[in-house]
Amino acid sequence: MRISTKGRYGLRAILDLAYYSKDEYVPLNVIAKRQQVSEKYMEQLFSALKKSGLVISSIGVQGGYMLSRSPKEITVGDVLLALEGDLSIIDEVHTPTGDKGDANLTDEYLHNALWKKINKEVYSLLINTTLQDLLDKYAAKVWGNKNADQLNLIKNLE
Amino acid sequence: MLKISTKAMYGIKAILDMAINYPKDLTTVKSLAERQNIPEKYLEQIFSVLRKAGYLISTRGSMGGYSLAFPPQEITVGDILRVLEGELVPVNCVTEHSYRAKCKREDKCITRYLWAEIRDKINNIVDNVTFGELAEGYKQIMN
Repeated sequence: MRISTKGRYGLRAILDLAYYSKDEYVPLNVIAKRQQVSEKYMEQLFSALKKSGLVISSIGVQGGYMLSRSPKEITVGDVLLALEGDLSIIDEVHTPTGDKGDANLTDEYLHNALWKKINKEVYSLLINTTLQDLLDKYAAKVWGNKNADQLNLIKNLE
Repeated sequence: MLKISTKAMYGIKAILDMAINYPKDLTTVKSLAERQNIPEKYLEQIFSVLRKAGYLISTRGSMGGYSLAFPPQEITVGDILRVLEGELVPVNCVTEHSYRAKCKREDKCITRYLWAEIRDKINNIVDNVTFGELAEGYKQIMN
């Protein structure tokens, strides 16, 4: 049970955008550099995020991406769903109708008594955690002073 | 994606079958495989792993087969899942192996906290469900 590379990097990328962009478009190469991911790969991630309506883009010199709404209104579940397609820990159980052999009974029972419960817990954590929640809790701690970092990065790029 | 492997799902189902029949849980791979609709060869592999991990006992002879090494109420879902699935983590960077290679971004990573929260949620559930409870629940529904 693992989250894909796409899910991992995509979530980091959108958090980066949420943290550093305030109502302005951020070019992909800036995010790519900060997150140490190739620009090509970043493009794939943002194209998936855009398709799901979580970010909007603008072309041109001042172009780039920004969030389509406030980080308070985007949950981790939204982002992972856009990148992973599915957040369930198991595939749906298909019980053939009419046939109630032991195997089907235990499948159905385990589905309801165990797998669904785990799914529900994980899902509820993901849809109740917003990007803003993660930023509030951890951004200052791990990323330090945002403005200083931004300035350094711009210097490095120049 | 966060999918649990087919192997682990078969393993859980097989142990539940034995827990339901406990203490008459001695069974051959063949009959359990038929009963629970699990490919026999696959179940053989799974049982061999679970035996090595100490959760199953095998008895030789014409009346031989596998039985649980502990009463079902002493085996948790987490015990069996971890044997078949490895550590239950959404991302490798939150495993607890001491030999885990440290990610170079670890100190600068926000998402790692989220992965740890998911890990704890999942482990907290599976470590608190025993096969004794599952078997009881199953019997209640079937009666």
